[in-house]
Amino acid sequence: MKFRGKIIDVACLNHFTRKSHICSKTLTKTCVLRLTPDNLFFILSEKVANGGVSMWCELAQANFFDEYQMEGVTQEDNEICLEVAPENLARALKTLQNAKALKVKLTKKHCPCLTIPTLSTVSRVVMHDVPVDVIPRKLWHEFKEPHMPNFDVSIYLPPLKTLKNVVDRMKNLSNFLVLEANMSGEMNLKIETDLVSVTTHFKDLGNPPWGEDGSQRDSDAMAQARLDVRRLQQFLMGQQVNPTKALCNLVHQRLVHLILLHEDVSLQYFIPTVA
Amino acid sequence: MDCVVTGGNVKVLAKAVHSLSRIGDELYVEPQEDGLALRSVNSSRSAYACFLFSPQVLKFCVCTNSTKQHKLSVQSVFRSLATLEKTVEKCHIKLDEQKSRLTFTLHCKHGLVKTHNLSFQDSESLQAVFDKDSSANIFRAQPRLLVDTVVHFPPSLEEITLSVSDDRMWFKNHVEEDAEPSKAMLTELCLSSDEFDHFSVQTQNSITFCLKELRGLLLFAESTGLPISIHFDEPGSPVVLSVTDSVLDGNFVLATLSDENNTHKRNSRSCTQPLPPPDDFMNDDMDSYLIAMDTSIVPEPSVTASAPLARAESSKHSSVNHRTQQHSEDENETDETDHTAGPPNKKFCSLFFGSVLPPPSQMSTQPITTQEVLASDSEEETQLE
Amino acid sequence: LNMPLSTQSQTDDEFYVFVATLDNARNLSNLLKAIAFKDHAIFTATPNGLKVTVEDSKCMQANAFIQADIFQEFTIKDDLVGFQVNLTVLLDCLNIFGGSTVPGVSTALRMCYVGYGYPLTLFLEEGGVVTVCKINTQEPEEPIDFEFCSSNVTNKVILQSESLKDAFSELDMTSEVLQITMSPAQPYFRLSTFGNSGNAHYDYPKDSDMMELFQCTKTQTNRYKMSLLKPSTKALALSCKVSVRTDNRGFLSLQYLVRNDDGQICFVEYYCCPDEEGEEE
Repeated sequence: MKFRGKIIDVACLNHFTRKSHICSKTLTKTCVLRLTPDNLFFILSEKVANGGVSMWCELAQANFFDEYQMEGVTQEDNEICLEVAPENLARALKTLQNAKALKVKLTKKHCPCLTIPTLSTVSRVVMHDVPVDVIPRKLWHEFKEPHMPNFDVSIYLPPLKTLKNVVDRMKNLSNFLVLEANMSGEMNLKIETDLVSVTTHFKDLGNPPWGEDGSQRDSDAMAQARLDVRRLQQFLMGQQVNPTKALCNLVHQRLVHLILLHEDVSLQYFIPTVA
Repeated sequence: MDCVVTGGNVKVLAKAVHSLSRIGDELYVEPQEDGLALRSVNSSRSAYACFLFSPQVLKFCVCTNSTKQHKLSVQSVFRSLATLEKTVEKCHIKLDEQKSRLTFTLHCKHGLVKTHNLSFQDSESLQAVFDKDSSANIFRAQPRLLVDTVVHFPPSLEEITLSVSDDRMWFKNHVEEDAEPSKAMLTELCLSSDEFDHFSVQTQNSITFCLKELRGLLLFAESTGLPISIHFDEPGSPVVLSVTDSVLDGNFVLATLSDENNTHKRNSRSCTQPLPPPDDFMNDDMDSYLIAMDTSIVPEPSVTASAPLARAESSKHSSVNHRTQQHSEDENETDETDHTAGPPNKKFCSLFFGSVLPPPSQMSTQPITTQEVLASDSEEETQLE
Repeated sequence: LNMPLSTQSQTDDEFYVFVATLDNARNLSNLLKAIAFKDHAIFTATPNGLKVTVEDSKCMQANAFIQADIFQEFTIKDDLVGFQVNLTVLLDCLNIFGGSTVPGVSTALRMCYVGYGYPLTLFLEEGGVVTVCKINTQEPEEPIDFEFCSSNVTNKVILQSESLKDAFSELDMTSEVLQITMSPAQPYFRLSTFGNSGNAHYDYPKDSDMMELFQCTKTQTNRYKMSLLKPSTKALALSCKVSVRTDNRGFLSLQYLVRNDDGQICFVEYYCCPDEEGEEE
């Protein structure tokens, strides 16, 4: 099992820092980094049954790395699966803001580590050893790409910054929020407490075409999901860069599936409903 | 004492008070023949700092030489550095021993006058004994070099380890003894001797000390643009960080972890071990560092695993695997982790005898040599053994 | 002005006793922030405008005044309409879109009230997105009358806020009181604190260029609870001038002149009782 990568292009480097921030800014203690010859995946898989969220973030390595070499566990299973604390990774990448180049390599130090030497603008090497746990093959099945749920409504999201502002304020007022949307491009966020009820109406959002349109659904009928506001905040946190596409699939009273597509990164996020 | 500080010197004074307040809540003020001494010590007596301002700073200073020094809390005077810089034109300091009162009068723009009357307690002389000039290792650097260095470490980090060889200096974060090794992230960076104004090493070794106080001094040094000197001998004896120019002299004396403690550290490099070569960033050969991990990380035929194992299992596997490579060192250290970790400062030696502590069992009226001070503190380590 | 909601709510207007619209909701929310130290806020609307009152322990009262002409529309069907709402909730609603300070981006507001027992309804719109908030109201309590009248004012100074901001930002909070001395002679205008580490005095000479007006007739020294005065720092921060007045009973009035995003002038006023335990030095 070997892995090393190198980014020398400053534009790529900034790009990578930004994108890995998107992945690392989640509130969870650990996430899984899966390396394949073509892609890097950041995966979060809490048990949906326990109200946990799951996340699937895919980066095409060629868009970031100037050099990228890996040897997986075996020839057939040419992959590496690591458990890593996003907080540590974020810290190592934080100092990148004024760096010139970056390397990532899998090393064995006091424990298995992702060793990340960065070259600062004053040509100083700063070395970070981020401890990782190597995940054995028998557990890999937990980190496969999630299935697209059989959704009732699929809709494009409004600008994420607006969404974030609204959700942040709603969080001040209530712990739970109802997200509803229909196939006429309308989406509402609602909260209701003893003191206040607030509804934000988004319209003309558009509904993505998913091919066969055989559903008999009334286009004005709302699909609803009641969510823990913090889960939605978690998703919106660190989304400073507007994605090329952002959409939301709703399974009525069951699940919200959020997808962000940047040119070379895709992020999927699953939030279960609460009663 | 009655003196006036004007213009830019007010700012310097205020910055000094601020960096002293990073160490302890109370300030010890002692008017001296050769100026004004401001001192501070932390609660566990493992860090001490002193600024001596020469009479050139303190214009029109009438100093009645007092044998006493005065302990007081002075932060309120210089609470806001930003407004201070913009508004204060003159600072008048007056000591009234009769009334046990130290008065700071700040004359500000628009005729505003701020008067702070601070009550104080007389105290024994607070003076750490150190002799930085005989240190084995002496360095001097521009503040920016050290500021750029500490910026890589998180604000929450308590201690930092500094190692030196003939031509390099390494900084790395110090990991608490009770920290789980597989969770501890390590950050390390290397400075080359030519980045320093002065670099002289007699003993290649490592010391570990608190980062908070260093940051405090850096605040001061950066704003005044004064180079910082670093003096130290060996683990367990204090490191002295100092700034100096024609009108002021600042010394921060920080206890370092003793060697005993240090070598128990799973991640600390013992000073006898060779330091690693710096990472040759641009020109490394791919295979030279591609450390093959055990591909046998899944040695058991995974198909036979009938029930899905708990996630924890996976980390167990990996640690078993690397123990075989990392030999016995690991096991020794595993025992160490059982030690209940006290508050971080416990590990450091006090820099003083009883001088400032209420019950002075040994009165230290005479200067004591550095060695004696440190020898007296080894109790804690003996208990550890 | 181009409030997409105005058409849809026109029909409802006849039900409302009070309707007010603002092109920029910040012109309301900023002023409310300056008095937001307690949840309960009493709204009093008259044809002259809107007054919002917040009180603390019967010893302190803050009022924000927004004149009718600040609003693009201000319709009131009675001489006086009053209700009480939770100010924290109201502020979160007014800032639902983030309260952007970017020029050209603002939240339009339409605020409507049907009457007793009905919620205060806010329609907010920014960039085509509409938020509707219904905030529960309560019957208004009678605000305390501090009987502070200008004919009883003993001492008065008007200062540029800049000079007081400095002092208030570094007040020694270990002091239980803030003592204010106003006098025709030295020290003219003095703020004092008595904290754990010692006391401090801030003296403003009467001829300072920060002093716009100095009318002190009699030396007066009064103490006010620090905890009561501290919230006024928010108003101070927003304001450009402040008038400090004391009357013959030692009551304090602080009037802050606040300029909003559109350069219009509004007022925030704080009243505070003197601290009875504290005696003059």
